[in-house]
Amino acid sequence: MTAARVVPGRAGGAPGARAGRALRALAAAMLALALAVSVAGAAKDSCVECHRGLDEPRLRAPVAGYAHDIHSERGFSCAACHGGDPADPEVTAMDPDKGFKGAPSRDQVAPLCASCHANAAFMKRYNPRPYIFSLAEWQTSVHCKRESLGDQKVATCTNCHGVHGIRTPRDPASPIYPTNVPRTCAKCHNPEYMKGRPVRTDQFALFSKSVHGVALLEKGDVSAPACNDCHGNHGAAPPGLKDVTLVCGTCHGREAELFEGSRMKAGMDAQGRRGCVTCHGNHGVLRPTDDMLSAERGGVCVGCHVPGSAAENGTREIVMSFRGLAGSVTAADSLLRVAEIRGMETAPGRESMKEAQDRLVGVRAGLHSFDAKKIGAALDEGASLARRAADYGRSALLDWRNRRVGMALSVGVILLLMGLVIARIRRIEKA
Amino acid sequence: MSAREWLRTRLGLDALQHVVEEKRVPVHRHSLWYYWGGMTLFLFGVQVATGILLVLYYRPSAGEAYESVRFLMTQVSFGWLVRSIHSWSANLMVAAAMVHMFSAFMLKAYRQPREVTWLTGMALFALCLAFGFSGYLLPWNQLAFFATKVGTDIMADVPLVGGFLARLLRGGDQITGGTLTRFFGFHVAVLPALMTAVLGTHLFLVQWHGMSVPPGVEQEGRPAKTMKFVPNFLLRDIVGWLAALAALALLAALFPWELGLKADPYAPAPAGIKPEWYFAWMFQTLRILPSRVLGLEGEMLGIVGFGLAAVVWAAVPFLDAPDGRGTRARLWSLVGMLAIAYVILFTVLVYVGGRA
Repeated sequence: MTAARVVPGRAGGAPGARAGRALRALAAAMLALALAVSVAGAAKDSCVECHRGLDEPRLRAPVAGYAHDIHSERGFSCAACHGGDPADPEVTAMDPDKGFKGAPSRDQVAPLCASCHANAAFMKRYNPRPYIFSLAEWQTSVHCKRESLGDQKVATCTNCHGVHGIRTPRDPASPIYPTNVPRTCAKCHNPEYMKGRPVRTDQFALFSKSVHGVALLEKGDVSAPACNDCHGNHGAAPPGLKDVTLVCGTCHGREAELFEGSRMKAGMDAQGRRGCVTCHGNHGVLRPTDDMLSAERGGVCVGCHVPGSAAENGTREIVMSFRGLAGSVTAADSLLRVAEIRGMETAPGRESMKEAQDRLVGVRAGLHSFDAKKIGAALDEGASLARRAADYGRSALLDWRNRRVGMALSVGVILLLMGLVIARIRRIEKA
Repeated sequence: MSAREWLRTRLGLDALQHVVEEKRVPVHRHSLWYYWGGMTLFLFGVQVATGILLVLYYRPSAGEAYESVRFLMTQVSFGWLVRSIHSWSANLMVAAAMVHMFSAFMLKAYRQPREVTWLTGMALFALCLAFGFSGYLLPWNQLAFFATKVGTDIMADVPLVGGFLARLLRGGDQITGGTLTRFFGFHVAVLPALMTAVLGTHLFLVQWHGMSVPPGVEQEGRPAKTMKFVPNFLLRDIVGWLAALAALALLAALFPWELGLKADPYAPAPAGIKPEWYFAWMFQTLRILPSRVLGLEGEMLGIVGFGLAAVVWAAVPFLDAPDGRGTRARLWSLVGMLAIAYVILFTVLVYVGGRA
């Protein structure tokens, strides 16, 4: 241990002088490095310098937009996509020999973006959990398929994400931020742009009024689905016949599961009807109401079931029981409310009431099993709970009446006692 | 030997009977105010009786308090009535104590030799407020939780000892189940013990010195007339107590005390939260004070002001003229009237939504 010990200043020269020189040299080297880095950092990008001063707005615009682009923020220059030599201040910067590619054609855009975004190792340099773009998925999209047929009016990456001002999907200003997605899709999916094409163009109008659209566009609820949540984004395509339930089931799992195991599903498949959308619609899906169960006009069942058929009769029976439960719950709620207004404590009744309401909600989901026996059992259970809540409300109101009678009696007794005491005082004081 | 005779020789009932027979109450134009002490005492008795019934079912923990009160109100025969009477009686007791205190002030009943009676009365009033504050939290409902939070936050602004006081009351930095248990302890053990001692002293002194006669009546050379405490005055007291009982029955049946929602520390405070009415005038004062006054925190200044006012109020027997006459006496009467007007005005302002 002693032999290995280093003694300061023992290596040569005056004690400490060598160490001081080394420190000074190190400091000088670091200063030089810092200067070099700052000079390099301040080096001008000839693309930006030239295009900034061009007269033609089309060529000048990218400079302004790119200042806010996520790629610019991550340190990518124009050359990353367009090639060329940004260090060359002359027009020769755009020499094809220097790798200049110019603006990519429509069919080149997706492969160009994929050259980085499909490269997991590269993307991980900028984000530990990156989204990895799949060119294969893109190729399943209607957009890509039409493009490969030479259609130049279909969307590619830049149509949705922007070109020189691309923002992250988490940025509310991004065209692909959830609340902006429907309008971004509607830039092309509108009657004017799609003129002459066999494509529906009422999606945005329907979606805006739908339960999903109102939640997303009016209430700003980003958990509500936008177009891409059902159609996919890079692989955007209309859901097929078989996968509609899967699409809706990604959020409405319980309903989808019950429907999958129902006889109704098999029947619909046999008739070529598309699961959920047969009753609920697709882009214009409205908040489901109990009126949808109506066996009369306005109900969705009669759209398929012939009046008087066994299925229609079964539906009518369920509808009646269901409405009976809904009515019982409302009646129990009214009774409890009146009792509460009169100052009565109704907590146990409210608990039964809440359970009955839960059953009602459960039955609404359970209707998707189309199993009369199961639905009937749940309805009976709910009705029993609603009865219990109503009984509690009635007993609270009876109690309220009894309390008043009791109060009147006790006040009467007290007044009588007061009268007796006053009479006693008078008698004493008269004596 | 009869049982009465047996007790008479062992308990000194003769002396007691003598005191009772000899005790007389002055009769004059202000005699009405003599009944408020007895009224407060009666309502305190109702509190003790109903409190004992409540404690048979109440469980003092954050997990069980609300449920036990709800059980009492919905499942126990007349549980709702006991709780309603306890709550209403508490409010009437504070009101009766206020009337008693202000009437004693205005009639200058604190004059020599009743200074200590006045001081014990002040202590009793403070204890009444403490009973109200500690009991309010016990049902562990949302309103009580946040009202207690506001109350203890205000207490934390007391200079020097505020932080310590607030932690002592809460049993920590926040209102928790520990605070509830602590408040229950204060409500059913600490405060009743103090109340018993101070109330005993107060009643003894009232008997010892007899009823005070206001200076104005004294000056007129009255009262020539008196009445026997037993039975004449006591029977009149009983009429008042029966009237209070009838009022309690009416209030409990027509306006049963609500339970509300269970306390949830993570829920937002209910809108327009207010303290109990007897703290409302202080709350309103603190509300209108600017955040800073002469470089000092407004709320702290308000609390210091209340503290000083309470000290002056307690010390009035030593500050007022001993005979209750002259300019100094009139000045203190004016102070009393202004105090009453201030308390009424600021209490009303809280309920009509005014801020100034």
